[in-house]
Amino acid sequence: MPTSTIPLIETKRLVLRGPEPDDYPNFKATFASYRSRFMGGPLNPYETWMLYAAEIGHWNIRGYGMWMIHHRDDGRTLGMAGGWFPAAWPERELAWIIWPQEAGHGYALEATHAVRGYLYDALGWTEAVSYIDPKNLDSIRLAERLGAVKDPEAATIDGNDAVYRHPSPERLKSGQLRDGIELEISHYADPLFKPKGMPID
Amino acid sequence: MRGPVAADFASYAAFYASDATEFISGPLDLAAAWHLFASDAGHWALKGFGWWTVTENGVPVGCVGLHHPPDQADIEIGWNVYDGARGRGVAREAAQAALNWAVNEMKAQRIVSYISDGNAASIALAERLGATRLPERAIHDASKAIYLHDLTRYAT
Repeated sequence: MPTSTIPLIETKRLVLRGPEPDDYPNFKATFASYRSRFMGGPLNPYETWMLYAAEIGHWNIRGYGMWMIHHRDDGRTLGMAGGWFPAAWPERELAWIIWPQEAGHGYALEATHAVRGYLYDALGWTEAVSYIDPKNLDSIRLAERLGAVKDPEAATIDGNDAVYRHPSPERLKSGQLRDGIELEISHYADPLFKPKGMPID
Repeated sequence: MRGPVAADFASYAAFYASDATEFISGPLDLAAAWHLFASDAGHWALKGFGWWTVTENGVPVGCVGLHHPPDQADIEIGWNVYDGARGRGVAREAAQAALNWAVNEMKAQRIVSYISDGNAASIALAERLGATRLPERAIHDASKAIYLHDLTRYAT
Protein backbone atom coordinates (compact mmCIF):
# COMPACT_ATOMS: atom_id res chain seq x y z
CA MET A 1 0.00 0.00 0.00
CA PRO A 2 1.28 3.47 -0.78
CA THR A 3 1.97 5.34 2.46
CA SER A 4 -0.61 7.95 1.43
CA THR A 5 -3.39 5.37 1.93
CA ILE A 6 -2.41 4.70 5.55
CA PRO A 7 -5.25 5.94 7.76
CA LEU A 8 -4.83 9.23 9.57
CA ILE A 9 -5.30 9.28 13.33
CA GLU A 10 -5.80 12.57 15.13
CA THR A 11 -5.58 13.32 18.83
CA LYS A 12 -5.68 16.55 20.80
CA ARG A 13 -2.01 17.44 20.21
CA LEU A 14 -0.95 14.92 17.54
CA VAL A 15 -1.52 13.81 13.97
CA LEU A 16 -0.44 10.26 13.10
CA ARG A 17 0.30 9.48 9.45
CA GLY A 18 2.07 6.86 7.42
CA PRO A 19 5.87 7.19 7.38
CA GLU A 20 7.07 9.28 4.41
CA PRO A 21 10.54 9.65 2.85
CA ASP A 22 10.76 13.22 4.22
CA ASP A 23 10.30 11.95 7.78
CA TYR A 24 13.53 9.96 7.67
CA PRO A 25 16.10 12.39 9.19
CA ASN A 26 14.84 12.25 12.79
CA PHE A 27 14.37 8.49 12.57
CA LYS A 28 17.96 8.21 11.35
CA ALA A 29 19.31 10.45 14.10
CA THR A 30 17.44 8.47 16.76
CA PHE A 31 18.63 5.07 15.53
CA ALA A 32 22.18 6.35 15.26
CA SER A 33 21.99 7.43 18.92
CA TYR A 34 22.15 5.73 22.27
CA ARG A 35 18.40 6.28 22.50
CA SER A 36 17.96 3.18 20.31
CA ARG A 37 19.94 0.88 22.60
CA PHE A 38 16.83 -1.07 23.63
CA MET A 39 15.62 -1.44 20.04
CA GLY A 40 18.59 -3.16 18.46
CA GLY A 41 20.62 0.02 17.98
CA PRO A 42 22.66 2.05 17.56
CA LEU A 43 22.60 1.19 13.86
CA ASN A 44 24.90 2.17 11.02
CA PRO A 45 23.50 4.22 8.09
CA TYR A 46 22.74 1.15 5.96
CA GLU A 47 20.99 -0.68 8.79
CA THR A 48 18.99 2.40 9.73
CA TRP A 49 17.80 2.98 6.18
CA MET A 50 16.85 -0.67 5.72
CA LEU A 51 14.91 -0.54 9.00
CA TYR A 52 13.03 2.54 7.84
CA ALA A 53 12.24 0.80 4.54
CA ALA A 54 11.01 -2.17 6.59
CA GLU A 55 8.78 0.12 8.67
CA ILE A 56 7.05 1.10 5.43
CA GLY A 57 7.14 -2.41 3.96
CA HIS A 58 5.42 -3.70 7.10
CA TRP A 59 2.31 -1.77 6.02
CA ASN A 60 2.39 -3.45 2.60
CA ILE A 61 2.81 -6.90 4.05
CA ARG A 62 0.55 -6.77 7.11
CA GLY A 63 -1.89 -3.97 6.31
CA TYR A 64 -0.90 -2.19 9.50
CA GLY A 65 2.35 -0.91 10.94
CA MET A 66 4.01 2.01 12.65
CA TRP A 67 2.53 5.50 12.24
CA MET A 68 4.72 8.59 12.18
CA ILE A 69 3.73 10.91 15.03
CA HIS A 70 3.55 14.60 14.08
CA HIS A 71 2.88 17.56 16.32
CA ARG A 72 -0.37 19.21 15.31
CA ASP A 73 1.02 22.74 15.76
CA ASP A 74 3.99 22.65 13.38
CA GLY A 75 3.94 19.20 11.80
CA ARG A 76 7.35 18.23 13.15
CA THR A 77 7.88 14.51 13.77
CA LEU A 78 8.07 13.27 17.37
CA GLY A 79 8.47 9.51 16.99
CA MET A 80 6.50 6.46 15.87
CA ALA A 81 3.81 4.24 17.35
CA GLY A 82 1.77 1.37 15.99
CA GLY A 83 1.46 -2.35 15.41
CA TRP A 84 4.58 -4.41 14.74
CA PHE A 85 4.55 -8.08 13.75
CA PRO A 86 7.60 -9.36 11.89
CA ALA A 87 8.18 -13.07 11.36
CA ALA A 88 9.39 -14.84 14.52
CA TRP A 89 7.40 -12.50 16.80
CA PRO A 90 5.18 -14.66 19.05
CA GLU A 91 2.27 -12.17 19.07
CA ARG A 92 1.31 -8.86 17.52
CA GLU A 93 3.08 -6.05 19.29
CA LEU A 94 2.09 -2.53 20.17
CA ALA A 95 5.32 -0.53 19.85
CA TRP A 96 6.49 3.06 20.20
CA ILE A 97 9.59 5.21 20.00
CA ILE A 98 9.96 8.93 20.73
CA TRP A 99 12.91 10.96 19.46
CA PRO A 100 15.19 11.81 22.40
CA GLN A 101 14.69 15.57 22.11
CA GLU A 102 10.91 15.16 22.29
CA ALA A 103 10.76 12.95 25.39
CA GLY A 104 8.95 13.97 28.53
CA HIS A 105 5.77 15.49 27.10
CA GLY A 106 3.52 12.44 27.13
CA TYR A 107 3.56 12.09 23.34
CA ALA A 108 4.16 8.33 23.46
CA LEU A 109 1.25 7.89 25.89
CA GLU A 110 -1.10 9.97 23.76
CA ALA A 111 -0.04 8.35 20.47
CA THR A 112 0.04 4.77 21.71
CA HIS A 113 -3.33 5.09 23.45
CA ALA A 114 -4.77 6.33 20.14
CA VAL A 115 -3.22 3.64 17.94
CA ARG A 116 -4.20 0.92 20.40
CA GLY A 117 -7.78 2.13 20.15
CA TYR A 118 -7.53 2.07 16.35
CA LEU A 119 -6.04 -1.43 16.22
CA TYR A 120 -8.74 -2.71 18.59
CA ASP A 121 -11.74 -0.87 17.14
CA ALA A 122 -10.98 -0.52 13.43
CA LEU A 123 -8.80 -3.60 12.82
CA GLY A 124 -10.42 -5.93 15.33
CA TRP A 125 -7.37 -6.81 17.40
CA THR A 126 -8.46 -8.64 20.53
CA GLU A 127 -5.03 -8.70 22.16
CA ALA A 128 -1.72 -6.85 22.06
CA VAL A 129 1.59 -7.17 23.87
CA SER A 130 4.71 -5.04 24.09
CA TYR A 131 8.15 -6.67 24.15
CA ILE A 132 10.39 -4.50 26.32
CA ASP A 133 13.99 -4.78 27.44
CA PRO A 134 13.83 -5.13 31.25
CA LYS A 135 16.39 -2.32 31.51
CA ASN A 136 14.20 0.05 29.49
CA LEU A 137 12.52 1.63 32.50
CA ASP A 138 10.88 4.47 30.56
CA SER A 139 9.07 2.02 28.29
CA ILE A 140 8.09 -0.28 31.15
CA ARG A 141 6.64 2.70 32.97
CA LEU A 142 4.77 3.74 29.84
CA ALA A 143 3.37 0.21 29.38
CA GLU A 144 2.12 0.33 32.95
CA ARG A 145 0.58 3.77 32.49
CA LEU A 146 -1.24 2.30 29.47
CA GLY A 147 -2.64 -0.41 31.75
CA ALA A 148 -0.41 -3.21 30.47
CA VAL A 149 0.69 -5.89 32.93
CA LYS A 150 3.80 -8.04 32.80
CA ASP A 151 2.91 -11.53 31.56
CA PRO A 152 5.62 -13.92 32.77
CA GLU A 153 3.95 -16.90 31.04
CA ALA A 154 3.95 -15.39 27.55
CA ALA A 155 6.52 -16.39 24.92
CA THR A 156 9.32 -13.83 24.46
CA ILE A 157 11.16 -12.88 21.27
CA ASP A 158 14.55 -14.18 22.35
CA GLY A 159 14.47 -14.55 26.12
CA ASN A 160 15.98 -11.11 26.72
CA ASP A 161 12.72 -9.18 26.69
CA ALA A 162 9.79 -8.88 29.10
CA VAL A 163 6.26 -9.26 27.76
CA TYR A 164 3.67 -6.67 28.83
CA ARG A 165 0.09 -7.59 27.97
CA HIS A 166 -2.28 -4.74 27.19
CA PRO A 167 -5.78 -4.54 28.63
CA SER A 168 -8.46 -6.09 26.41
CA PRO A 169 -10.70 -3.97 24.17
CA GLU A 170 -13.62 -4.59 26.54
CA ARG A 171 -11.68 -3.35 29.57
CA LEU A 172 -10.59 -0.24 27.69
CA LYS A 173 -14.05 0.73 26.50
CA SER A 174 -14.93 2.56 29.68
CA GLY A 175 -14.16 2.82 33.34
CA GLN A 176 -11.39 3.91 35.61
CA LEU A 177 -8.51 2.65 33.48
CA ARG A 178 -9.52 4.58 30.37
CA ASP A 179 -10.44 7.65 32.39
CA GLY A 180 -7.07 7.57 34.14
CA ILE A 181 -5.12 7.36 30.86
CA GLU A 182 -7.12 10.16 29.29
CA LEU A 183 -6.82 12.29 32.41
CA GLU A 184 -3.06 11.91 32.35
CA ILE A 185 -2.93 12.80 28.64
CA SER A 186 -5.04 15.89 29.29
CA HIS A 187 -2.71 16.87 32.12
CA TYR A 188 0.23 16.82 29.73
CA ALA A 189 -1.66 19.14 27.41
CA ASP A 190 -2.45 21.42 30.34
CA PRO A 191 0.79 22.46 32.06
CA LEU A 192 -1.11 23.39 35.24
CA PHE A 193 -0.87 19.72 36.21
CA LYS A 194 2.32 17.77 36.70
CA PRO A 195 2.53 14.49 34.74
CA LYS A 196 3.09 11.22 36.55
CA GLY A 197 5.55 9.74 34.07
CA MET A 198 9.01 11.27 33.95
CA PRO A 199 11.70 10.43 31.43
CA ILE A 200 15.05 9.12 32.55
CA ASP A 201 16.92 10.28 29.48
CA MET B 1 6.77 -9.26 -12.13
CA ARG B 2 4.91 -7.40 -9.41
CA GLY B 3 5.57 -5.77 -6.06
CA PRO B 4 6.15 -8.16 -3.16
CA VAL B 5 3.02 -9.29 -1.27
CA ALA B 6 2.67 -11.21 1.98
CA ALA B 7 2.09 -14.53 0.19
CA ASP B 8 5.55 -14.28 -1.42
CA PHE B 9 7.36 -14.47 1.89
CA ALA B 10 7.44 -18.26 2.30
CA SER B 11 9.44 -18.84 -0.89
CA TYR B 12 11.60 -15.76 -0.18
CA ALA B 13 12.47 -17.05 3.31
CA ALA B 14 13.20 -20.53 1.97
CA PHE B 15 15.60 -19.07 -0.58
CA TYR B 16 17.36 -16.91 2.02
CA ALA B 17 17.70 -19.91 4.34
CA SER B 18 19.57 -21.82 1.61
CA ASP B 19 23.25 -21.91 0.74
CA ALA B 20 22.43 -20.30 -2.61
CA THR B 21 22.67 -16.96 -0.75
CA GLU B 22 26.34 -17.32 0.20
CA PHE B 23 27.31 -14.34 -2.02
CA ILE B 24 24.50 -12.06 -0.83
CA SER B 25 25.08 -12.10 2.94
CA GLY B 26 23.05 -15.26 3.54
CA PRO B 27 21.91 -17.64 4.80
CA LEU B 28 19.44 -15.63 6.90
CA ASP B 29 17.18 -16.83 9.68
CA LEU B 30 13.45 -16.21 9.53
CA ALA B 31 13.57 -12.89 11.40
CA ALA B 32 16.39 -11.49 9.24
CA ALA B 33 14.71 -12.67 6.03
CA TRP B 34 11.46 -10.98 7.03
CA HIS B 35 13.27 -7.75 7.80
CA LEU B 36 14.91 -7.81 4.36
CA PHE B 37 11.61 -8.71 2.68
CA ALA B 38 9.87 -5.79 4.40
CA SER B 39 12.73 -3.50 3.33
CA ASP B 40 12.31 -4.67 -0.27
CA ALA B 41 8.61 -3.81 -0.11
CA GLY B 42 9.22 -0.42 1.53
CA HIS B 43 11.93 0.54 -0.96
CA TRP B 44 9.26 1.60 -3.47
CA ALA B 45 7.78 4.24 -1.18
CA LEU B 46 11.18 5.65 -0.25
CA LYS B 47 12.76 5.78 -3.71
CA GLY B 48 10.05 5.30 -6.31
CA PHE B 49 11.66 2.04 -7.40
CA GLY B 50 12.40 -1.23 -5.68
CA TRP B 51 12.00 -4.98 -5.85
CA TRP B 52 9.63 -7.13 -7.84
CA THR B 53 8.60 -10.69 -7.15
CA VAL B 54 9.15 -12.66 -10.34
CA THR B 55 6.34 -15.13 -10.92
CA GLU B 56 5.77 -17.93 -13.39
CA ASN B 57 2.10 -18.94 -13.72
CA GLY B 58 1.47 -17.03 -10.50
CA VAL B 59 4.14 -18.88 -8.51
CA PRO B 60 7.12 -16.87 -7.17
CA VAL B 61 10.35 -18.10 -8.80
CA GLY B 62 12.66 -15.28 -7.79
CA CYS B 63 13.00 -11.58 -7.24
CA VAL B 64 14.64 -8.81 -9.17
CA GLY B 65 15.09 -5.28 -7.98
CA LEU B 66 16.49 -1.82 -8.37
CA HIS B 67 18.13 -1.06 -5.08
CA HIS B 68 19.72 2.06 -3.67
CA PRO B 69 20.44 2.14 0.06
CA PRO B 70 22.45 5.17 1.15
CA ASP B 71 25.79 3.37 1.47
CA GLN B 72 25.85 2.42 -2.23
CA ALA B 73 27.27 4.86 -4.73
CA ASP B 74 24.91 3.87 -7.55
CA ILE B 75 21.52 2.35 -8.17
CA GLU B 76 22.04 -1.39 -8.34
CA ILE B 77 20.08 -4.05 -10.14
CA GLY B 78 20.02 -7.36 -8.31
CA TRP B 79 18.46 -10.70 -9.12
CA ASN B 80 17.76 -13.92 -7.24
CA VAL B 81 16.27 -17.06 -8.74
CA TYR B 82 14.88 -19.71 -6.44
CA ASP B 83 15.75 -23.36 -6.37
CA GLY B 84 14.04 -25.28 -9.18
CA ALA B 85 13.75 -22.28 -11.51
CA ARG B 86 17.43 -21.83 -12.41
CA GLY B 87 18.93 -22.47 -15.83
CA ARG B 88 15.87 -21.38 -17.80
CA GLY B 89 16.77 -17.74 -18.33
CA VAL B 90 14.35 -16.44 -15.68
CA ALA B 91 16.85 -13.99 -14.21
CA ARG B 92 17.90 -12.71 -17.62
CA GLU B 93 14.34 -12.09 -18.74
CA ALA B 94 13.43 -10.41 -15.44
CA ALA B 95 16.58 -8.29 -15.36
CA GLN B 96 16.02 -7.11 -18.94
CA ALA B 97 12.46 -6.14 -18.07
CA ALA B 98 13.64 -4.29 -14.97
CA LEU B 99 16.37 -2.45 -16.90
CA ASN B 100 13.88 -1.58 -19.60
CA TRP B 101 11.57 -0.10 -16.95
CA ALA B 102 14.48 1.72 -15.30
CA VAL B 103 15.55 3.39 -18.53
CA ASN B 104 12.16 4.23 -19.97
CA GLU B 105 10.00 4.87 -16.90
CA MET B 106 12.34 6.17 -14.22
CA LYS B 107 14.82 7.64 -16.73
CA ALA B 108 17.81 6.09 -14.96
CA GLN B 109 21.20 7.29 -16.21
CA ARG B 110 23.49 4.77 -14.55
CA ILE B 111 22.84 1.31 -13.13
CA VAL B 112 25.39 -1.14 -11.83
CA SER B 113 25.50 -4.59 -10.29
CA TYR B 114 27.81 -5.25 -7.35
CA ILE B 115 28.90 -8.88 -7.59
CA SER B 116 31.25 -11.03 -5.50
CA ASP B 117 34.15 -12.54 -7.42
CA GLY B 118 33.07 -16.11 -6.70
CA ASN B 119 29.51 -15.63 -7.88
CA ALA B 120 30.03 -17.11 -11.33
CA ALA B 121 26.34 -17.36 -12.19
CA SER B 122 25.70 -13.68 -11.59
CA ILE B 123 28.89 -12.60 -13.36
CA ALA B 124 27.86 -14.67 -16.38
CA LEU B 125 24.45 -13.02 -16.41
CA ALA B 126 25.91 -9.52 -16.06
CA GLU B 127 28.14 -10.27 -19.06
CA ARG B 128 25.26 -11.68 -21.10
CA LEU B 129 23.35 -8.48 -20.33
CA GLY B 130 26.26 -6.53 -21.83
CA ALA B 131 27.57 -5.06 -18.58
CA THR B 132 31.19 -3.93 -18.37
CA ARG B 133 33.36 -4.82 -15.42
CA LEU B 134 34.92 -1.63 -14.00
CA PRO B 135 38.48 -1.63 -12.62
CA GLU B 136 37.51 -0.24 -9.21
CA ARG B 137 35.84 -2.14 -6.37
CA ALA B 138 32.54 -1.29 -4.67
CA ILE B 139 33.06 1.46 -2.09
CA HIS B 140 30.60 -0.08 0.39
CA ASP B 141 32.01 -3.59 0.08
CA ALA B 142 35.49 -4.21 -1.31
CA SER B 143 34.70 -7.90 -1.87
CA LYS B 144 32.48 -6.90 -4.78
CA ALA B 145 33.29 -5.88 -8.33
CA ILE B 146 31.26 -3.25 -10.16
CA TYR B 147 29.49 -4.17 -13.40
CA LEU B 148 28.19 -1.15 -15.31
CA HIS B 149 25.09 -1.89 -17.39
CA ASP B 150 24.78 -0.72 -20.99
CA LEU B 151 21.56 1.26 -20.85
CA THR B 152 21.66 2.20 -24.54
CA ARG B 153 20.30 -1.29 -25.25
CA TYR B 154 17.02 -0.41 -23.56
CA ALA B 155 16.39 3.12 -24.79
CA THR B 156 13.39 3.34 -27.08
